[in-house]
Amino acid sequence: MHLDFGVAWKYLPILLQASLMTIALFALSQVLGTIAAFFLALARMSPRGWLRRPAMAYIWVVRGTPLLLHLFFVYYAAPAFGLTLDAFPAAIIAMSASAAAYNAEIIRAGLQAVHRGQLEAAYAVGMRYDQVIRRIVVPQALRIVIPPYMGNAISHCKNSSLASVITVPELMLTAQMIYSSTYRAIEILTVTGGIYLVLTSCLSALQMYLERATAYEQRGLGGARRRRLRLDTPLPSMPAS
Amino acid sequence: MIEVEELTKHFGAVRALDGVSLSVGAGEVVCLIGPSGSGKSTLLRCINFLEEPTSGVVRVGGRRVGWEGERRAGARELARARAEIGMVFQHFYLWPHMVALENVIEGLVTVKRIPVREAAAKGRALLTKVGLADKMEVYPEHLSGGQRQRVAIARALAMEPRVMLFDEPTSSLDPELVGEVLRVMEQVAREGMTMLVATHEMGFARKVADRVMFLDQGKIVETGTPDEIFGRPRHERLRRFLDTVLV
Repeated sequence: MHLDFGVAWKYLPILLQASLMTIALFALSQVLGTIAAFFLALARMSPRGWLRRPAMAYIWVVRGTPLLLHLFFVYYAAPAFGLTLDAFPAAIIAMSASAAAYNAEIIRAGLQAVHRGQLEAAYAVGMRYDQVIRRIVVPQALRIVIPPYMGNAISHCKNSSLASVITVPELMLTAQMIYSSTYRAIEILTVTGGIYLVLTSCLSALQMYLERATAYEQRGLGGARRRRLRLDTPLPSMPAS
Repeated sequence: MIEVEELTKHFGAVRALDGVSLSVGAGEVVCLIGPSGSGKSTLLRCINFLEEPTSGVVRVGGRRVGWEGERRAGARELARARAEIGMVFQHFYLWPHMVALENVIEGLVTVKRIPVREAAAKGRALLTKVGLADKMEVYPEHLSGGQRQRVAIARALAMEPRVMLFDEPTSSLDPELVGEVLRVMEQVAREGMTMLVATHEMGFARKVADRVMFLDQGKIVETGTPDEIFGRPRHERLRRFLDTVLV
């Protein structure tokens, strides 16, 4: 077998160009899917059935059916509703919908890991639900959620390759087009795999960074928080006790 | 300051509270004693509506908790009422992502919308008062149980509540750490705070309480001064309970 990586080298700029599309697909749908997932998780945990049941049903259906099907479905079904979607927006919708379902369960696990007593203590000082979520639950859930959330993000990044089937010109489709005209599948696929590996490695690195950044008790207070609390200044007036 | 009328709380078929009525005057310290499961915690938790009572009336400072006129209170009104009722829990429930000082000022900043700078000055004074001047920027996990509970007391006091509820504040502490928490509570009592304290610390009840109430099976069985309760218990159940706790 004769390998010619010169071909891959020649097409590398095109592949890198296409990987920008992969990044856009992944990043945009991950962000939209995460925002939706947060509210989906809250609804899923609600004591109110009319909020909880639709959220459960959504997660059940979307997690239980393939992303490939969602992509086809959005792309081909949209015209039936009077919408003609280009491949890219169709892919964003399908991928965001999928990310929302998976991330909702990950976020729910994080939110539920915060002890009930912590919430009660917050209600007892007079906080409302939204304040309790924002000030007490989310900051703690964040660090719990990082490893599973980032793991899922890595899968999601790779799954963006499925968008090739509805003709989004992302990395995988571009690779296919190149090797079907050059017959250099091994070389092109190896380089393409390398690019995916670089992308997912960036996500792994981000995960490590986030885990370190949220390991607050090991580091003590940062300068900004110290200044905010005026911890460096002496206490102005001490009430007699 | 606290008035409770005919309070009942059912958990399914279990009657945790079975028609409890009591009142605590301004500045009075009342201790609730009784065996585990007698309803002490449930009573305290119904007063600030962490548990919604099945029936009955709770008033704090003359205002009915959990109700606005004929309607059940909305989230905003309930939060307002709770801000006036300090609560200290058996397991502290400090927020682990905040240092001691941040725990103390969180309510001031988030609920009362006091600027951080002002709140921090108040929080530091309170932590100093409970003997934790050197622990301001320490995370709860690096504090002992006694220190955590003193932070929790400071956190409740920061809101300047009209009353303070203590739910077995020393029951999860190592014996050598109980004293430091009780001393802080005693100081709070001396400063005139209205306090309702569920406790197994009979020494504290005897020394600090104005009145002691004995709860058993969701009912107040006997009420009296510490001398009456501990010196001349009238009910057999109370005598048996005291025999088991006062060895």
